[in-house]
Amino acid sequence: MLGERAVAPLQRVRGTADVLPPDDARLRRLESRLRAGFERFGYQGIQTPILEPLELFLRKSGDEIVARMYAFSHWNRRLCLRPELTASIMRAYIDDLQGQALPLRLHYAGPIFRYERPSRGRSRQFTVVGVELVGASGPAADAEVLHLACAGLEAAGITRYRLVVGHLGATLQLLAHLGMSDHAQGLVLDHMEPIARGRVDLEAAITRVVDLLGGGGAPANGGPTGLPASLASLPPDQATAIAADILSRASLPVEGGARQPRHIIQRLLAKAERPDPTDQVRAAFEFVAELHAAACSPDQLEPVLRPILEKRGLSTAPIQDVTAALDLLRAYAPLPPGVEIEVDLSLARGLRYYTGLVFEIYVDDDEGPLQVCGGGRYDDLVRALGGRESVPACGFSYGLERLDLVTTQGGPPDTTRILVVGVTGEDHEAALSVAADLRRLDDLSVEQDVRLRGVKSALRYADRAGVDLVVIVGERERQEGVVVLRLMRTRHETRIPRADVVAAVRDLSER
Amino acid sequence: MSALRLALASKGWEDDTLRFLGHCGLRVDRSNPRQYRARMRGLPTGPADVVFQRASDIFEEVSAGTVDLGITGYDIVAEHRSEEDDVVVVHAELGFRRCALVLAVPEGWVDVTSVSDLADVGAELRSAGRELRVATKYPNLTRQFLFDRGMTHFDLVEVSGAIEAAPALEAADIICDLTSSGVTLRENRLKPIGGGVVVESQACLIGNRRELQADPERLEATRALLELMEAYLRSRQLVSITANIPGNSAEDVAQRVLACGGVAGLRGPTIARVFPSEPADADWFALTVVVGEDILLATVETLRRAGASEISATQVRYVFERRSWTFEALKRQLDAAQDRGRKA
Repeated sequence: MLGERAVAPLQRVRGTADVLPPDDARLRRLESRLRAGFERFGYQGIQTPILEPLELFLRKSGDEIVARMYAFSHWNRRLCLRPELTASIMRAYIDDLQGQALPLRLHYAGPIFRYERPSRGRSRQFTVVGVELVGASGPAADAEVLHLACAGLEAAGITRYRLVVGHLGATLQLLAHLGMSDHAQGLVLDHMEPIARGRVDLEAAITRVVDLLGGGGAPANGGPTGLPASLASLPPDQATAIAADILSRASLPVEGGARQPRHIIQRLLAKAERPDPTDQVRAAFEFVAELHAAACSPDQLEPVLRPILEKRGLSTAPIQDVTAALDLLRAYAPLPPGVEIEVDLSLARGLRYYTGLVFEIYVDDDEGPLQVCGGGRYDDLVRALGGRESVPACGFSYGLERLDLVTTQGGPPDTTRILVVGVTGEDHEAALSVAADLRRLDDLSVEQDVRLRGVKSALRYADRAGVDLVVIVGERERQEGVVVLRLMRTRHETRIPRADVVAAVRDLSER
Repeated sequence: MSALRLALASKGWEDDTLRFLGHCGLRVDRSNPRQYRARMRGLPTGPADVVFQRASDIFEEVSAGTVDLGITGYDIVAEHRSEEDDVVVVHAELGFRRCALVLAVPEGWVDVTSVSDLADVGAELRSAGRELRVATKYPNLTRQFLFDRGMTHFDLVEVSGAIEAAPALEAADIICDLTSSGVTLRENRLKPIGGGVVVESQACLIGNRRELQADPERLEATRALLELMEAYLRSRQLVSITANIPGNSAEDVAQRVLACGGVAGLRGPTIARVFPSEPADADWFALTVVVGEDILLATVETLRRAGASEISATQVRYVFERRSWTFEALKRQLDAAQDRGRKA
């Protein structure tokens, strides 16, 4: 037993939120409406654990996500609360679904966790609702996913929004052209989003990435000089042997526990030959900034974006992909007149696994634009997570709480609330049978008085809690074979035969 | 009447901490050196209760509110603090026990000089079926530091005993540990890597928000403590110079001194008439100015050029400002927390 002393209340974890009634009912209705829409396109529901191995997100999710994960060690197992759902679903696909006929259409909903500053419609735990289309490449598949995203918004009553479409193909081609290492490419992709959004200064981003890449190796201009260059002209084994000899003459022991001396020297030589990354990083970021500045409507793609790619000798396939997908999107259904489309090839979404078309959807409300949806194509993820073969895939998700903020179809549910009250404990069983009959009707919520403190107390409760209709069962009424119906709004009471109570309540609730 | 409760670090920290408090005019009396309870005298609000603990435990004691204040390393605070604890950093830089939490690799890794090299090595080991093992007592800071730099392939290893020995014992590949002079790293044939400073640390004063807020007397004692610490820290490296200079008037002396290159001091020199013990052919003035130790000799030269003699210099012990800035900052933190509490 607790003593007299009051116990201090526990508070919820900072940055999280409780979803209280009636918000919970509204959010669940919104979620089921969206998922019902996905099912009409042949998507099937899937659930994956909230708890995942940390490793799953380290491989491909990118710094923005990795640095904000709820990660911990439980009995020597490295775990995390999932920071997104696509990697989880691809893990499930690799675990159990690789034999299935493709394409595989999956839809999901569930909480994800990110340790970041809470913002409008986004706590540190929030709900995503989305789809993955696995095993289909090309604009036709991209367009299906785009259409689902737009159709879901319309089902939620949102007809004014801005769709921003990008394509990673442009940047990935340039990075390959520049000959950047995988590690360097990953760093550049991680920084695209903050650069395009103007969250970091271009020069600051260049400095940071070059710094992370360990600065310059050989001088940027004037070609390689010195020992590494001379060694480079020798066969690798011989070069390694000479370098090892020099280091040992200088009493620099090359040993490293788990690492082979040979590997250390080889890396040393390779590093010395590597050019200063500053120029590459600058070229990449300037390209990203140029793409962002050239964001335009779909009909301007050719004159505006094509020259930027051609100037650098890059393929214009990303532009054709985007054009084809947007043409097909319109073929699904005409878009509402309030929809604005912008093509911005610098869009990267802060995730490292996208490879092709990507998109985000923004809805304006009183406080400015809110991103409610995002997705794209990630053709390499299955392979990176250990799948048997590479499988093209794309998908998107809504942020449910954000969508709820901007949707016009909020409001409390239109369910009629009924309270059935027995006048005394003696009447309770008779009241239960009345309630059971009423529960056969749809769209009713039928509560039974269980405190048994009498009619007066029950009516006070009904008044405060917003009950619409109270059914009162007493001893006299039982003997007469009637019940009393009280309409709370008007306080009007009528006596009706017990046998007619279901019909009478149906009439009243439909009114 | 409740006394302020202060936790001080024992073991290697004790001498430095007591010296620092001594400089602040605070004396810790202990009946015998094995006692872990003591009294600290020197605050106008009365003696404070002192408890000696390991530096690493002080954060928990302050967080739990069993003491009001504690002096420990900033590295420990950075590693252990969470958004929801009641710990406030009252003074972040007490100016002693400076060190840095750094990543260090075996000297033999001649190819590794940066965090980016580490990422490469992580990938190299991974392709050999292994993870790069990092030994540290600071898992939170280390993980976040590496994640923030795009490095994801590593295992943090808990090592009991000396972290810096872990690579030699093959319990880990590299370490993330405190270093001040770098000697211990070198003795263990380890080297710090470029850009690998996870956090710079020194002794700091932390407090429990709830406890300080709840008791005006202990808050007042905290204010007095901060006044002394702040005034002492501000006075370090300051000397007060007094010199005798002949001249016609105070203005005349001031003009000559300023013409010789100026002796600005904290605000400007003080000049006062000297009444000589024997008759003299000129009027003499005493000039007093407070300057940084680094410009002591330069200031003496300037004064000589202006005709000064009998130049004396004394170490300044305290410099008090118009108010205690750190205490005001603490008050703001406490008020902000109270506002948040009310909102929640």
